[in-house]
Amino acid sequence: MRKGGHDTGGSRLQQYPTPHSSVPEEGPVNDSSHPNHKISLLPSGKDEGDNEPDRPRIASTILVRRGRKSRNYDILSEAAHCASVANSRCWYVAWNPNGILLASCGGDRAIRIWGREGDSWECKTVLQDGHQRTVRKVAWSPCGNYLASASFDATTCIWKKKNNDFECLTVLEGHENEVKCVAWAPSGNLLATCSRDKSVWIWEVDEEDEYECVSVVNSHTQDVKHVIWHPTQELLASCSYDNNVCIYKEEDDDWECRATLEGHTSTVWGLAFDPSGQRLASCSDDRTVKIWKECNPEGGQDGTNSGWKCVCTISGFHGRTVYDVAWCPLTGALATACGDDGVRVFKEDETAGPEQPIFFLSAHVPKAHNQDVNCIAWHPKEAGLLVSCSDNGEIAVWNYQSEA
Amino acid sequence: MTRNSEDLFDCILMADDRFHVEGYREGFDEGTRQGMTDGRKHGALHGAKLSMEVSFYYGFGITWKCLLQNNTDAKARKRLKALESLIGLIQKFPHEDPQFETLQEDMEKVRAKFRQVCSLLNVPTDFSDYVKSGGSGGMSF
Repeated sequence: MRKGGHDTGGSRLQQYPTPHSSVPEEGPVNDSSHPNHKISLLPSGKDEGDNEPDRPRIASTILVRRGRKSRNYDILSEAAHCASVANSRCWYVAWNPNGILLASCGGDRAIRIWGREGDSWECKTVLQDGHQRTVRKVAWSPCGNYLASASFDATTCIWKKKNNDFECLTVLEGHENEVKCVAWAPSGNLLATCSRDKSVWIWEVDEEDEYECVSVVNSHTQDVKHVIWHPTQELLASCSYDNNVCIYKEEDDDWECRATLEGHTSTVWGLAFDPSGQRLASCSDDRTVKIWKECNPEGGQDGTNSGWKCVCTISGFHGRTVYDVAWCPLTGALATACGDDGVRVFKEDETAGPEQPIFFLSAHVPKAHNQDVNCIAWHPKEAGLLVSCSDNGEIAVWNYQSEA
Repeated sequence: MTRNSEDLFDCILMADDRFHVEGYREGFDEGTRQGMTDGRKHGALHGAKLSMEVSFYYGFGITWKCLLQNNTDAKARKRLKALESLIGLIQKFPHEDPQFETLQEDMEKVRAKFRQVCSLLNVPTDFSDYVKSGGSGGMSF
């Protein structure tokens, strides 16, 4: 049974054999509680349309489709509670630092903590009473003991892990309306939040778990969609409905926008630093992913202007808005979540120069979900393990294997 | 004779143009007068609004500074520092020059600082009569 065999998008950047995707076998039909679909992406070799399954280059496997099951289960138990919620989309998923737990959040105002049980992932805990509206994003602290959740109810909750449960430690208020994202700095001492009120807030955490706002920055002219910290430096990036990306640094006790990255022609939805922090990927409603590189990193550090320039635009692959982008910390592969329901993995052509990197489509699952894919995240420890979530409430874990 | 009649016809034929020019000039003058009045009103209104907002922040900052300045604990120091930063921003603010290049930017900085101060002081920012709100209604994703 084959499906979507030729759907690799218009591949302008592509100079490599086009991988074909197929859905060969359904999982055990009788075991409906654990549908275990296997998807293998086969190489076409030089002959377009040759789907012989020799030398499988990429094998992607959905390890779990627990999301759907859990949703049905939850609808049963939460029917009354959910009745007023128009959607129960899954907005975001995040691995904890050691990759043992997975946190998800969505339109049902709850945060779910998932843990691996053999080959599947089971919901361990549901954190329900923190928010009055949709939980848009969750973030684990670098130590793994805290979880921050950003909600449309204008608050950010900080949860502390206690044994196997979580308790709400504090609620950060201050944003005028929907909080869109929260992110922890690598040191764990700073937290950033952003909101539809166009502002980005930076919070400081002290030893007594108290949070204090150290700065409010209004550099965007529209809704701020996402914030992300540099993997090693205290450098913050945000992106917005105003089509721009801003980079912030601390300056005399205040945080200031040090660079504005202009280039996207529509909303920028997601950001990801590469493992070294030298480059930043941004994904947009304009259906492209852009790679930005800091041109004078030394200058950026000693206070002079830091500049970022776009060194690559990955276009022609995505059929709709690209909602999220993730750079694998272990392999350097770039994964995207797209509004055309697809999940894609790009690899870098290592023969290209650093000033003109080339990315090629390495794997593509056209209908990874049957609605928008909202988020994509690489496992922090296991190379190739990838999780995605969708508007239909589904969470799927994928295994990406690249040739040599 | 022929010349006269030519002038006469000219006069009639060109009347359209002549009145058009005259009318334009009169209209232009009238428009300029009205525009000046409207502009002045508009400017006065906006200037007053902006001044009211900035002055509100200033009064707020000075008051809290007075309340806190005798405290010596670390928390109060932090708050005072933020308050002083707010007051400093306002004192630098170009009240007199509506065409000041970074007026809008500076105003955004003052607003952001005010919100940080409110957060540090645990004061709710519901001063909607004075403070311009960043967000507005509508859908959001």
